[in-house]
Amino acid sequence: MLKNYFKTAWRSIMRQKVFTMINVTGLAIGISAALVIYMIAVYDFSFDSFHPKRDKIYHVVTNFTFSGVPYKNGGVTSPLGGVIKNEIAGITEAAPFYIANDDTKITVPDGTATPLNLKKQDKVVYADARYFNIFQYKWLAGEAKTALSTPYKVVLTQKQAELYFPRLTPAQVIGRKVIYNDTVNTVVTGVVENLPGNTDFVFHDFISFSSMGVALSADQQKYNQRWDNTTSASQLFVVLDDKATVANIEAQLEKLQKKYDPNNGKDFNGTQDFKLQPLKDIHFNSEYATFNYRTANLTTLYGLLAIAAFLLVLGCINFINLTTAQAVNRAKEIGIRKTIGGNRKQIIVQFLSETFLITVFAVLVSIALVPLILKFFTGFIPEDITVGMLKETSIIIFLILLSVIVCLLSGFYPAMVLSGYKPVSVLKNQTHAGTGKTRNAWLRKSLTVTQFVIAQFFIMATILVSKQISYTLNKDLGFKQDAVLFVNTPWRENNADKKQVFVNKLKSFPQIENISIGSTPPSSAGYNTTSVKYIDGKKEIKTDLQLKNGDENYINVYKIKLLAGRNITKSDTTQMMINETYLHTLGFKKPEQAIGKFIEHGDTKDMVIGVVNDFYSASLHSPIKPLAIVPAWKYNNYVVHVALKPKTEGGGEWKKAIAQIQAAWKEVYPEYDIDYGFVDESIAKFYESEQRMSKLLAWSTGLSVFISCLGLLGLAIYTTGQRTKEIGIRKVLGSSVRQIVSLLSKELVLLVILAFVIVTPLAWWAMHKWIENFAEHTAISWWVFALGGLAMLLTAIITLSFQTVKAAMANPVKSLRSE
Amino acid sequence: MPKSFNNNMLSLQHISKYYQNGPNKAYVINDLSLDIEEGEFVSIMGPSGSGKSTLLNIIGMLDAPTDGYHYFIDQPVHQLKEKQRSALYKQYIGFVFQAYHLIDELTVYENIETPLIYQDIKGSERKALVADMLDRFGIVGKKDLFPSQLSGGQQQLVGVARALISKPKLLLADEPTGNLNSKQGEEIMELFRKLNKEDGVTIVQVTHSEKNAQYGSRIINLLDGRIESSITL
Ligand SMILES: Nc1ncnc2c1ncn2[C@@H]1O[C@H](COP(=O)(O)OP(=O)(O)O)[C@@H](O)[C@H]1O
Ligand SMILES: [Mg+2]
Repeated sequence: MLKNYFKTAWRSIMRQKVFTMINVTGLAIGISAALVIYMIAVYDFSFDSFHPKRDKIYHVVTNFTFSGVPYKNGGVTSPLGGVIKNEIAGITEAAPFYIANDDTKITVPDGTATPLNLKKQDKVVYADARYFNIFQYKWLAGEAKTALSTPYKVVLTQKQAELYFPRLTPAQVIGRKVIYNDTVNTVVTGVVENLPGNTDFVFHDFISFSSMGVALSADQQKYNQRWDNTTSASQLFVVLDDKATVANIEAQLEKLQKKYDPNNGKDFNGTQDFKLQPLKDIHFNSEYATFNYRTANLTTLYGLLAIAAFLLVLGCINFINLTTAQAVNRAKEIGIRKTIGGNRKQIIVQFLSETFLITVFAVLVSIALVPLILKFFTGFIPEDITVGMLKETSIIIFLILLSVIVCLLSGFYPAMVLSGYKPVSVLKNQTHAGTGKTRNAWLRKSLTVTQFVIAQFFIMATILVSKQISYTLNKDLGFKQDAVLFVNTPWRENNADKKQVFVNKLKSFPQIENISIGSTPPSSAGYNTTSVKYIDGKKEIKTDLQLKNGDENYINVYKIKLLAGRNITKSDTTQMMINETYLHTLGFKKPEQAIGKFIEHGDTKDMVIGVVNDFYSASLHSPIKPLAIVPAWKYNNYVVHVALKPKTEGGGEWKKAIAQIQAAWKEVYPEYDIDYGFVDESIAKFYESEQRMSKLLAWSTGLSVFISCLGLLGLAIYTTGQRTKEIGIRKVLGSSVRQIVSLLSKELVLLVILAFVIVTPLAWWAMHKWIENFAEHTAISWWVFALGGLAMLLTAIITLSFQTVKAAMANPVKSLRSE
Repeated sequence: MPKSFNNNMLSLQHISKYYQNGPNKAYVINDLSLDIEEGEFVSIMGPSGSGKSTLLNIIGMLDAPTDGYHYFIDQPVHQLKEKQRSALYKQYIGFVFQAYHLIDELTVYENIETPLIYQDIKGSERKALVADMLDRFGIVGKKDLFPSQLSGGQQQLVGVARALISKPKLLLADEPTGNLNSKQGEEIMELFRKLNKEDGVTIVQVTHSEKNAQYGSRIINLLDGRIESSITL
């Protein structure tokens, strides 16, 4: 029976090649989007799903508030790791480990004068058997219990061992030497297989935990013994027993913290709480960061799924519209099938098999498109996602389910309509009469309007997002962003003299206008905040104050204006320049009033010596907050800020200047690679997620407009076909081509306009929601909507004109004779 | 409640069919009663628009009357649900049309096979039945052609073959020879006679041709939705 259905289906598909192509293309776009997005979802949800105790493993993290502002840290105070298992009931295992700095230098001596030397290495940790108890690795050499029991031992992953010792087997690697940061001389005591699935646990050098005592600086070690110091380097994972609940453990942790750190919170005017983060949350939570750097974003994933769903719906709508529009052409066949004994169910099945065949085509096209999509969206799609994933059972099941859903979604209604025809009326040629046809026409119109609501929504959203991006990038941030370079000097060699030597060398280059040493540029991703107090005689004003460190040239390099008082000078130590926002927070109207006042923080008092204009210290997502610029030499500052002279015609000077800076670097810091960037580029990076969103929206827009226009074209082909005779008569009666084109386009164009009326308030509402994410944002101008609507209308008219002009130009005599 | 008779193929009692035309009822069939026994060959005649096709469609359950009682092999059709009616139809009735009404996308073979598919008959059995039918109608050589590649007479042969493939007890034919020349028409009529006589198939045909009407055992003349005369030959 099915074979017969497919045979008929195949023939009717082949008879209507254009419609089939429109249907397949529309569906294939939606299906391939859904497929790739599903692959991303499968990939992201597969992370760390293979650990034997995965449901019981938790990451201990710290939630702070500083003066009410929440702040999250993926690390814990180091001493917690040592006591948690003994003092908290319900924890069966605890594994503290410590992540080494991400510019670890690794040397693998091989007896020659030029040993393997790797700079800026990351993913090196200090760990021990406790880590390997929770996260089970396969040991190729050595054993978990003893490998890291004493200082100066290291366990490598298989891949890392192959990198260090290319020709040796795991067993042969045991006993070899690896040196970290020139000082930590370790012996390899174990080689483990890399974890078998997708994982965020990507460490590859495990130095024994007890080596930290010698490896870390005295300062750092001191900090690591304190209960009031938290660093994200200090990690802690625990395994709960079957009876323990997260709430109970967290309550116990609160008590534990009170016991060891009774002053907690009072010292920084806030709160600090230990929390348990489930293992499966790690890959999706950027607030605590992963060790793999890339976190997946559930919101983005849902956004992508929504886009795929919209594209699918658009494709299905095309199918429904084109099929019901042509239903009349198939009415006779249905009438006959019913008179020779076909019942409604059998006819529904027949049409669904036809739909299914088209869906299968679309799926095949989608599969063929996957490699192209992966290639095109590299950078957006994680690179581990490959065509090979298509062979995975879960993907195959997804495709089958998707085909069935798409098939039902697009095929069910047409099948109901077609199978509902009464054979008598069909055979008497009465299908045009009755309510059936008008109901279908009404549905078709609603669906077409829906398509254009979706398409115009995407267009308008794209316009607004680009408008906001260009606003943020062009907004005056209150300082000079272009033609400024920053060079990060190695913090490990934080030697004031060397820095000065480097700066002095730069000073001699003609292309360089000005140089400053300080902390981060005025706008930066991270910031340094401290709580401060000002007593104005009667009342005390307590606030958080952001700190930027700079020398006497900082405000000159960035062209920050001094509104009152004076700039920092070389002799200043306990002085500060404040911004206008802080000035107003303190209750002063004029900048001059603040000069000479004292701001207390901790045990020290700083005098306000100057007031500078407000500038944005982070992305435009956050508003300007109270801020002070304090003398650079008070803190260890390692960023050299370089203002370049304007580029001239040709613009070769900057290249030359950069080459000179690089040469100077090599002389001063031969051990290190230079790390520099342009300030405006680093600011553009704040908006990476918006840029990505913009790119994605542009694609969604293009595709949704394309699918909708395909559908429009299909409807136009159908209606002009229906009206060939009418067009012929009108032409004979003297209608111009233009009149006929407008007659044919009028109805569909009206639908596009109706869609515009519907989508505008929806889009306006969504835009308001989105733009609330920005403290500073562009206006949602009327022309965003007008432009979106107009763009759609023009595209629709051009699309329609392909068909309508052809129909209007046709020789009327021919069409009338053939009737 | 009116009764049906035992050897009746079908019984129509006080059947009416009208269309609401504004405030007026336009009667197409007007209080018509008719019994047809098993093995009869009835010809329905009458001027165009007198309700012949409508009557045939009601008999064939393709159309429902507005009023009246309709029994088919002792089943009260007027009380049956759509599903039961179509099951009854599927099992007992075959239709032949003036315009042949073959499915253009299917070959001769497939057109004849389709009713069997709708009856869920197995592939091997279908093959045998269709082969028999092709043989009997002498169209084996045409089995892979599409309807558009056949002459009118050949198409109608296929139409009849398709109607007979499921071995109906009642064959309904609406002007089966209307589009055919007289020689082709005669062939079809001979075929009907043979079916009626040898296979015992009950036949009701609508025809305009006095000559073709004579093949039957009874001629019913219709006028304005009423039986004007019924002549048993
Ligand atoms: N849907 C309808 N609405 C109104 N009148 C109809 C409809 N269908 C058929 N008729 C009328 O019913 C009458 C009988 O039609 P029909 O049975 O086809 O006649 P015949 O086959 O004898 O020529 C005709 O006058 C036709 O106009
Ligand atoms: Mg008729």
